[in-house]
Amino acid sequence: MVGVSLVIATLLGLPLGVLLVITGPGHIKPHPAIHSTLSIIVNIGRSLPFIILLVAIVPFTRLVVGTSIGTLGAIVPLTVSAIPFFARLVETTLLEVDSGIIEAAQAIGATTWQIIGKVLIPEAKSGLVLGITNCAVSLISYSAMAGAVGGGGLGDLAIRYGYQRFQPDVMLATVIVLVILVQGIQSLGDWMARKLNHK
Amino acid sequence: MGTAIVKFHNVTKTYRSKDQTVTALRNINLEIKRGEIFGIIGLSGAGKSTLLRSINRLEIPQSGSIIVGDTEMTTLTGKNLRLARRKIGMIFQHFNLLSSRTVYGNIAFPLEVAGTPPAEIKKRVLELAELVGLSDKLNNYPAQLSGGQKQRVGIARALANHPEILLCDEATSALDPQTTHSILQLLRDVNRRLGLTIILITHEIQVIKEICDSVAVIKNGQIIECGPVVQLFANPRTEIAREFIRTATHDKIPENLQTLIHSNPGEGNLVRIFFQGEAAKEPVITSLIRRFNLDVNILYAKLDFIQDTPFGSLIVDLNGTDDNVQTAMAYLQELGCRIEVLNGVESTTLQSAD
Ligand SMILES: Nc1ncnc2c1ncn2[C@@H]1O[C@H](COP(=O)(O)OP(=O)(O)O)[C@@H](O)[C@H]1O
Ligand SMILES: [Mg+2]
Repeated sequence: MVGVSLVIATLLGLPLGVLLVITGPGHIKPHPAIHSTLSIIVNIGRSLPFIILLVAIVPFTRLVVGTSIGTLGAIVPLTVSAIPFFARLVETTLLEVDSGIIEAAQAIGATTWQIIGKVLIPEAKSGLVLGITNCAVSLISYSAMAGAVGGGGLGDLAIRYGYQRFQPDVMLATVIVLVILVQGIQSLGDWMARKLNHK
Repeated sequence: MGTAIVKFHNVTKTYRSKDQTVTALRNINLEIKRGEIFGIIGLSGAGKSTLLRSINRLEIPQSGSIIVGDTEMTTLTGKNLRLARRKIGMIFQHFNLLSSRTVYGNIAFPLEVAGTPPAEIKKRVLELAELVGLSDKLNNYPAQLSGGQKQRVGIARALANHPEILLCDEATSALDPQTTHSILQLLRDVNRRLGLTIILITHEIQVIKEICDSVAVIKNGQIIECGPVVQLFANPRTEIAREFIRTATHDKIPENLQTLIHSNPGEGNLVRIFFQGEAAKEPVITSLIRRFNLDVNILYAKLDFIQDTPFGSLIVDLNGTDDNVQTAMAYLQELGCRIEVLNGVESTTLQSAD
């Protein structure tokens, strides 16, 4: 559930983040209209609490996967909430790429695509990996919320057994698993980011 | 050398922001000859970077024309602009290397951009690494290099697509004097070997003195002086140029000599003779003594070289009849020397520098 959402959110959030950056003022393809439209959409996505988004887009979820409950039903809202989240992370990371390097690429005669593919993304890849890590951790916590509305997974387990049936051992086990999972993902992400960073 | 490779015609550039406008370039007219090293010097904020960056259109002037080779740069867009830029290399004060790529990858970058076949890229990268003396650093990342080595990578990258022009934006300003010297020598070397035209901007006259053939002095967005470097040094016409030259030649009169001059006004004929090139090779002092029957007392002398041209100044005390002193000075000026009267002789007949 988290994995699928993460992959889709990365694949869609990355281009969205790139577009946000390059259409920004003073960047390689400034375009105020596109930039502000995207920015507003992303902000709306980011400002809705997940639990509300989950309910609000039920019709859309049904349309896409045919159901709004269970694991399948949770993937859609998880992904929808992760896309703008990741897009902003991508934006922040790409904006940190030294403008001098971008300028050097322009002076060399690189196309916009070449600047994106050979400069922006490679220069930011360590930060992007941290962004994906961040996104994964958030998705895990959101997925627990999705569990509350029958989305399956650890959250489901914790709510049903730990809370409703009051089985503290299940609750504890879920918490431990979650902590280890998040720790593991964070460490893996940090390690990869360090490997990729040559600064 | 000879024909112009870059021509500025009435170029003006203004930066506008909400609350202010800054005119960075005012009506610039400039010709840079093919094969020369052309320096642009000015204080911070004078408009040097704007001038340089408008050559490859990183800045877009409001009006005027900039012709590179036979291409009008100011109206180029899209593909034509990218193709034109490939023929203009550029290096930067802060190197601007891709931190995610090794030395090899950085030099290969412009070749990849130009769509060069991989086998050829490899050959060219090795060739360029050899040229800049970094063959043993190909697998290093920029973070593992010294400033001088980074700039060498910058130079190799800039030369990858066989440009005709190399633009240098304060390329040595972040380097220590010794490294500056070695980078300037490398630039001189590629200029001579490849016939590359180099246009550099700097706030350090030392750089101009060391490698430039011609120089333009820019102030408040205007070119206030322009010509061969030797001429600027020999005969600076503006105060700012004089100030630059003073720093370059460390040409401050020693303090005790200054006290001597000021404490004896009107005694003797204390003059300072600036000489350069041919005049420096003439037996000037001998002539003064023999031909004009003067007593010459040398108080201070300094000789320096601008590349291969000798250049310097003397402070002498001339003693003889007023007539002889006057004719002697006319003779010196005829030789191309510039004379500054420190005291004595009526300065009305002579151009005075200060
Ligand atoms: N992007 C910009 N926006 C506004 N003003 C600028 C910009 N770039 C340069 N300027 C101004 O233009 C003038 C010339 O700048 P610049 O060409 O960078 O000078 P230099 O390279 O000689 O230090 C300065 O007053 C500077 O503040
Ligand atoms: Mg500058």
